[in-house]
Amino acid sequence: MTVNEIISLAAASGRNLLFEDEAGALLETAGIPVNRCRVARDEEEAVRIAVETGFPVVLKVRSPAIVHKTEAGGVCLNLLDEEAVRRAYREIMEKARLVDQEAQVTVQPMAVPGVEVLIGMTTDPQFGQVIAFGLGGTFVEVLGDITFRLVPLLEKDAKDMIDSIKGSVILKGYRGSMPVDTAALIDIILKVSRLVENNPQIKEIDLNPVLAYPEGALIIDARIVI
Amino acid sequence: MSGAGPIDLHPVFYPKRVAVFGVTDTPDRVGYNILESILYGGFTGEVYPIHPRHEQVLGCKVYKSLEDVPEPVDLAVICLNQYATVEAVESCGRAGVKGVICNAGGYRETGEEGHELEKRLISAAEKYRLPIIGPNTLGMINNDGNFYSTFYPMKIPRGKVSIISQSGGIGLTIIHMAIDEGLGINKFIGVGNCSNLGFADCLDYLENDDSTAVIGVFIEGTSDAGRFARTAGRVARKKPVVVYKAGRLAATDYCTQTHTGSAAGSFHLYRDILHQHGVFTVDSASELVAACKALALQPLPEGNRVGILTHTAGPSVVMVDRLVPAGCVIPALNEETIRQVKRIIGSDDPPVTLKNPLDAAGLGFRRSTYGNLAEAMLADENVDLLLAVYCLHKTWELPASELIAAHEKYKKPLVVNFVGNWLGCRPDQEFMQKAGVPLYTAPEKTAVAAAALVHYGMRLKGGVSCDCK
Repeated sequence: MTVNEIISLAAASGRNLLFEDEAGALLETAGIPVNRCRVARDEEEAVRIAVETGFPVVLKVRSPAIVHKTEAGGVCLNLLDEEAVRRAYREIMEKARLVDQEAQVTVQPMAVPGVEVLIGMTTDPQFGQVIAFGLGGTFVEVLGDITFRLVPLLEKDAKDMIDSIKGSVILKGYRGSMPVDTAALIDIILKVSRLVENNPQIKEIDLNPVLAYPEGALIIDARIVI
Repeated sequence: MSGAGPIDLHPVFYPKRVAVFGVTDTPDRVGYNILESILYGGFTGEVYPIHPRHEQVLGCKVYKSLEDVPEPVDLAVICLNQYATVEAVESCGRAGVKGVICNAGGYRETGEEGHELEKRLISAAEKYRLPIIGPNTLGMINNDGNFYSTFYPMKIPRGKVSIISQSGGIGLTIIHMAIDEGLGINKFIGVGNCSNLGFADCLDYLENDDSTAVIGVFIEGTSDAGRFARTAGRVARKKPVVVYKAGRLAATDYCTQTHTGSAAGSFHLYRDILHQHGVFTVDSASELVAACKALALQPLPEGNRVGILTHTAGPSVVMVDRLVPAGCVIPALNEETIRQVKRIIGSDDPPVTLKNPLDAAGLGFRRSTYGNLAEAMLADENVDLLLAVYCLHKTWELPASELIAAHEKYKKPLVVNFVGNWLGCRPDQEFMQKAGVPLYTAPEKTAVAAAALVHYGMRLKGGVSCDCK
């Protein structure tokens, strides 16, 4: 499917927030590396996908009624075997069906740990489309260590974003930890910039976390608003 | 401004014939003050005051209406209330006037009803492709054409710096600070509510205005911030642009909304995005004036390495604090310079620390010593520009001519921090600035001036960035 087709499909069913699998497909179309998730319509399918994917896996609820998945008890991490997947499926669905009879789950591989960063796009009322970059979690939320650039970005802008946050020392290897692949982060930032420039109907993108590794980077959770 | 192609703003800034709506004979009214401002400013074109009942104001014949004015006018200054202004703009459009200044407030900044009125004002103007300065503005000054149209009659020194300000009060603050700094102003544009002539339009105009070499901007917020940032970045490739953004807290949003009808927006976004576009930003009106002054007077440095000469350490500490985060480096002096310093001071083991910043302490007062030290530092190939600190003294004199000679010999930028009061420093300030060397009385201003020079030296001359400490 093309970016336009994915967006049209969501719009046609009255959703302005894409499902995680839709967001993943959209990002893949733009050449952005995503921890791809697949939709399971029932428990058996969840198990089958988990086996195909390889353990450990993550199960997440998939419902337009549940925006904050973790808070709603809709995320189960690090499921090591078939039995754990079945248990997680039932737990998630029990809670989800209280608010949405049509709720489903997605299955994705459990990613190996890396340095958590955030890459986002917001539509500012004064500037229009703006790209954000910061370290994930508390660095952004509590310390406000985040930096913005106007779309479209040049390569020097993406590089400068990575250098200009206070936490950039962490990305460059701190106390013996390996430096992360900043070229991979720059590549994602530039691809997001191009994606939203070519598709102004995208209002918001929140890739959080993106896991940055010594080689490569991977988007673990993607939220896209149209 | 919407519509096909850019509007020619030349007749607005360089009018030959000007109509002034709402002229009265009462000195406490805007209509009187605007006419007074135009006359006092020495405008050499024709002025046509308009009022239905007056015969004569300030020695000028008053016309009953625009239709009665015998010649077509280029610019109309409208000093009527917000409702009558809309009608006057309509009549200006019909008469083929090329631009208007609308001083009255009472539009978008007052709420829903005012917003509707402003939309009517804009559509009246757009029908005739008529650019509006304002509404809700102090007015406009073109010092290059002796045209002063503000309700604060004044006459200010002419120079190469033009100012765009969203606020009249901060506009006046900048103008008066510029007078104190001995900085000449070329044009002042009070954009006010930016109804159909915004920051980007004014920057576009000033980019091609040969009498403007440096542009200072005071902005609270604009709905067209993306275009503002891109335009500022583009113009700044040709001539330096310095931006002071106010409205930094969520709480200020309410104030700016009710001031010029624009939300302040996120300061964080403005800071990052202006940086992205290579625009130099400052944190106060006095920094804006300081930065513009250095950029107007001095050549741009070849690199980012700053030498500091002083005979008192404190100011150099304050400067380094401001310079290093701005991308400047404080390089080590080369060995030849150290030898020269020893020779000038007359000792192989002088009681000063031989490094940059060079603090000559008590040995630095003497005029010839200080001048020679400045020359030695400017000669150093590790130094791209020099900051010289000297304190006002009853006996010792600022080595003004020595500093100027050293600056001219090495063609490297020089900025002087003369520690003293305004009255005591004024004669030296005038003397030095006539020779193109900016003189400040505060280390913070000196540092921001140097940071601005380095910023545009790197950007416009492609200077080499050096990370050496």
